[in-house]
Order: sequence, then structure tokens, then C-alpha cells
Amino acid sequence: MLSHEPRPDELMNTQVMRLLSGVSVHGDQHLAEVERDLVQMDALLSEAIKKLCTSFMAIHQAIDLQQETLKGMLSTEKTAPEQAARLEALREEIGQHVGAAVTGLQFQDMTSQLIGRMVQHLAGLRDVFGALGTKGSADLPESGSEEMLAMLNHISDRVGARCTELAGTVRSTVNQRHMESGDIELF
Amino acid sequence: MTKTILAVDDSGSLRQMLAFSLKAAGYGVIEAVDGQDGLNKAKQQTVDLVLTDQNMPGMDGLSLIRALRAMKNYQSVPILMLTTESGDDIKAMGRAAGANGWLVKPFDPARLNEVVKKLIG
Repeated sequence: MLSHEPRPDELMNTQVMRLLSGVSVHGDQHLAEVERDLVQMDALLSEAIKKLCTSFMAIHQAIDLQQETLKGMLSTEKTAPEQAARLEALREEIGQHVGAAVTGLQFQDMTSQLIGRMVQHLAGLRDVFGALGTKGSADLPESGSEEMLAMLNHISDRVGARCTELAGTVRSTVNQRHMESGDIELF
Repeated sequence: MTKTILAVDDSGSLRQMLAFSLKAAGYGVIEAVDGQDGLNKAKQQTVDLVLTDQNMPGMDGLSLIRALRAMKNYQSVPILMLTTESGDDIKAMGRAAGANGWLVKPFDPARLNEVVKKLIG
């Protein structure tokens, strides 16, 4: 029995399909890893901000009580004016730091939106990689470059459609590049 | 009498910082986790000012403003948008929906309280 030697065009078809499948499978695997890490990072940031906010509130409350106690102590004794002035200056300084901390503690609102957008992009890219893949040997044209060309066109259309869908759904909502407080405009 | 502010934001930490800043300035604060929750709470009690985020699951800030402006008792209540977005197009949409002002996140508590004081005293 004579064994069938694959023709060059059949070999080419097999190689192209193997390449597409490889890109699809490996691309999907790596994007899934990145997606998992981003979701984990979002969860860690979320937990961290909860702890930070709780500690911030507790510290602020303790400082308030401390200030009240000091004020009470100073009012019952003969206080040097410079001590009262120093206490007032400290109160103002603490107030400024508290204000800056409140601005800084808003980071998670922005980072979670950015991470959410990245995850959406990754999901969309995984979809694109999925469109690159083939269902296996059933999809492989038996011979001829025309069939192969038609198949590549079909894959290309699927990839293009996924990319268009992705571009339309993921709008950028965070353009801040620093944590300075934002503009205020009254209409 | 204490003025009450409805703070609508899906971020827990942001709501916490808003409530902290506004309460420190002497205002009462009602928190809502999204537009729909905000609308429900606004129906239960007419507040003196509404501060809302734009991008929230379910009902967004613009939809909330439109829904509030359609209610008789919210036609003149000041509504401020507090959001990460700062584009002219979306600001124009906010203005058309009935917002009285636009604050870009992150907010500075002192500046926020100045604006609130200017609007409701």
C-alpha cells in the first residue's frame, strides 16, 4: 500500500491552521493569567482601602478627643498665650493633613474603574483570540489555496467584528494622571 | 436645622470620604450605592442637595438627575455631579439634564464644603 505524501499546499494549510490555533490557545492562556492577576489586585486594593479608611477614621476620632482634652486642660489652668497659639496651629496643621489624606484615600475609586476597564479589554482580546482559533481538523480545507483563502477571510472577518465590538463598549472614564484634587465648575 | 445631603456613589471608600467631609462641616448625610438607590432614598425624604457620581451600575448619574428633575420637589434642589469624567461633552449633558455643577474627582474636602455652603448655606 502506497502512503500518501502531502502536497505542498496541504502542508501549507496545515501549518497555517496550526499557527492560528497556537496563537489562539496560548494568547488566551496568557490573557487569562493577566485577567486573574488584575482581579486579584482589585480585591487586594479593595481590602486595603477598607482597612485604611477604618484606621483613618479611628485616628481622626482619637486626635479629636485628644485635642478636646488638651483644650479642656488648658482652659482650667493659667495658660501661656503661646501654648494656646501652638495648640491652635497644630489643630490647623492636622486639618490640612486630614484634607490631603481624604483626597489621597479616593485612589481606589479610580484604580478600580481602570482595572475594570482593563479586564473588559482582556475579555474582549480573549474573544478576539477565540475568533482566531479553529474548531479542529473539520475546518481545515482539504486542498487548494482558494479554500484556504476563503477560510482566512472568514477568520479575519470574525476578528474584525470582535475588535469593533470591543472598541464600542469600553469607554475611558478615568483620565487623571495624578491625585491632585479636580476642577470645580458651577453652571 | 441640619441640612441633609444625599451622596450617591458606588464606591464605598468614596462615600465614606464624602460622608466624613460633609459631616465634619455640619451637614447630615444619606448614602446611596447607585442611581436607583439614590432615587429611592430621594423619594423617601426630600434632601437639601444631591451629590452624585456618573458611572454606576444600573442607573447612572445623568439618569438619576433626569429622574429627580422630573419630580416636583426636586426641581430646585441643587444637584452636583462628582465624577472622574471631565470631558466637555459629558459636562454639557450634565448641564442639560439639570445639574448645577460639576466636580472632578478626587475632591478636596475644603473646596467641596465651600461649594456646598455656597449652594445651601
